Amino acid sequence: MKYAAKNIISCLITTASISLGLSAGNMVMAQEKIKIGFPMALSGSSAQFGEPILKGAQMYVDEINAKGGVLGKKFEIISRDSKAKPDEAVRVARELIGREKVNFLVGSFTSGEGPAISEIAKEAKVLFVALAPKTDRLTAPDALHPYVFRTSANTTTEGRAAAAIVARWKVKRIATIAPNFAYGQDAVTAFVAALKKLRPDMEIVDQQWPKINEGDYSPFITAQLGKKPEGVFSVICCGNFTAFAKQATGLGYFKTINNNFINVAEGGSLESMQALGAEYPLGIWGNAADALNFVPTDPAVAKVHADFQARVKAYTKLQYPPSWVVSGYIGMQFLTEGIKKANSLDPLKVGEAMKGMELMTPLGKMTMRAKDHQLTRGMVWGKSVASKDHPFPILSPVEYIDATPLMD
Amino acid sequence: MQLDLALFANQTLSGLSTAMLMFIAAAGLSLVFGVLRLLNFAHGSFFMFGAYLAWQVSSWIGGGEFGFWISIFIAAAIVAVLAAVIESLVFKRLYGRPELIQLLFTYSLALIAGDAVKKLWGSQPLSLARPPSLIGSFEFGGVILPYYNFFLLCAGLATAGVLWYVMQRTRIGMVVRAAAVDREMLQLLGTRVKVVYCAVFSTGAFLAALAGALVAPTTSIVPGMGAEVIIPLFIIVVIGGMGSIWGALLGSIIYGVTLSFGILWFPQFSLFAVAALMVVILIFRPQGLVGEVQTR
Repeated sequence: MKYAAKNIISCLITTASISLGLSAGNMVMAQEKIKIGFPMALSGSSAQFGEPILKGAQMYVDEINAKGGVLGKKFEIISRDSKAKPDEAVRVARELIGREKVNFLVGSFTSGEGPAISEIAKEAKVLFVALAPKTDRLTAPDALHPYVFRTSANTTTEGRAAAAIVARWKVKRIATIAPNFAYGQDAVTAFVAALKKLRPDMEIVDQQWPKINEGDYSPFITAQLGKKPEGVFSVICCGNFTAFAKQATGLGYFKTINNNFINVAEGGSLESMQALGAEYPLGIWGNAADALNFVPTDPAVAKVHADFQARVKAYTKLQYPPSWVVSGYIGMQFLTEGIKKANSLDPLKVGEAMKGMELMTPLGKMTMRAKDHQLTRGMVWGKSVASKDHPFPILSPVEYIDATPLMD
Repeated sequence: MQLDLALFANQTLSGLSTAMLMFIAAAGLSLVFGVLRLLNFAHGSFFMFGAYLAWQVSSWIGGGEFGFWISIFIAAAIVAVLAAVIESLVFKRLYGRPELIQLLFTYSLALIAGDAVKKLWGSQPLSLARPPSLIGSFEFGGVILPYYNFFLLCAGLATAGVLWYVMQRTRIGMVVRAAAVDREMLQLLGTRVKVVYCAVFSTGAFLAALAGALVAPTTSIVPGMGAEVIIPLFIIVVIGGMGSIWGALLGSIIYGVTLSFGILWFPQFSLFAVAALMVVILIFRPQGLVGEVQTR
């Protein structure tokens, strides 16, 4: 009897909550939201970067919604785990368009996912803002279409910036190591081409191509050391730098090449440094989307940046806010301003409005180029040094390299 | 292409270190298949839990020499107990079912395990430090062997030795082998086969977790590591022959060495070498190198 009563009560509670939920849902529907489909790598090694990107976008959206949204409508982000895999990214992108009826696609992490989603966006005529894929192919002339825009850096600017740093090294024998997919290949191509111009005397003595998410880098590392390089350009990406660095340190890799090592692909990000802590190799070069100790030289930008970091800290409730947050934030900034300027949700009108748009981002002024839908997005670069203020190293001196002069 | 001796030695050693680590987990997979006839796709999840629990235990009791070794064994022991419980609740229902059902079922379990790990520990990669005594490396004439890799080589060989001894020279091993050949007959003779099955499954999980805990200091502990490792493990077990401990050892060595020399000679196609090898072996010896033709 007692059980029966309990059952009836819980049944009633369930019914009540379902109907409440439904009516609440209906009220929200009545208000009509701008739905953002957000395919992002939220599991596996890449999730350490994917999650902060999502947080950055969510933070921007919460801030805008608190001010009443745009065009009188509020944003809603519907995120899906793309597992950093192109086929999964395609699947969730289709589901977001078909079932969730999203207005825009924002997100994607790897250079495998980005171009794959771009195809879907073109086919379904949904505007897609790529937040993290850097492969040049995403916005190359033959792949470009009115529905794709990119707010991350690309492999050309990243490779050229790295080449400028490597060209300063007093060595001759350079090797490369990069994941064997679009991003790694494009970054190495851009780097080698730029280096050949800056330092024709430098020679590429070895190239290693482990797969993305390789668990065991030792055979690649020993094979590379066998070719006696004096400096290395590395594109170990997607959360794999932690494993790579541990194995390389054990094999005396960084010591052998005298720390003449540069890792693009956010090798110098707070996330990587935090994950490795005291095991992070000191004296190597790396880049990142943003850095804790980064102070822009322009005082106006410095103020915007400091304010942004304080907000991120409050929003994430983390003592050390991750560097990737800014990528989600900037992407949503451009999309939102595009919608405002177009005064419409029509993908072509929003895209047209974004072309040539210049905005003050937390990292400084950036322009969405009209000719290739590529943002003039730079990165922060520096050498890793131990820090007495943090339980992990920092990039110091940390320098923002503007992408504008490196693009064409 | 010229190949100096030091480079040759380095590639061999790094291939063998990979091999031994894979062997410990592969031996568990092979044992479970050989005795229980169970294709366990969730084997990688035990590997992953081993790594996470080693991190967890060491964060409770502190790192250092003592903390490290205790953490490794406590982690593997917890997974073994967990596996015994799961076996008696769900896995025992899978015995004798078609392979496809087993694969789908254990695959779903692997997905659940992946999400459970994310809930418990988050998606940030975790890092376990090496024990102080194993930091550093042997160096002689250009050959580098980290102490930790040397330890892995020994641990792999020791595992092979212990497994061989238990399986071939003890009464327990005899019962297990008998269970693999004829479950019904063993039951009729008065052995509690259910207990044997549970113990074998739990041992398999223990080996996976041990390998996971041992790999932790050389890599980053991430939610996807179980799914990453299971395919190579299946490749190894298939090359060597399902159900054979020596097959698993041979398979691991072939896998590790092929991979490391593939990387040296065909950097662009290193994975191709391993896959091609598996195809060739499957064409000429479908039962694997050491496996026996299945009669059941």
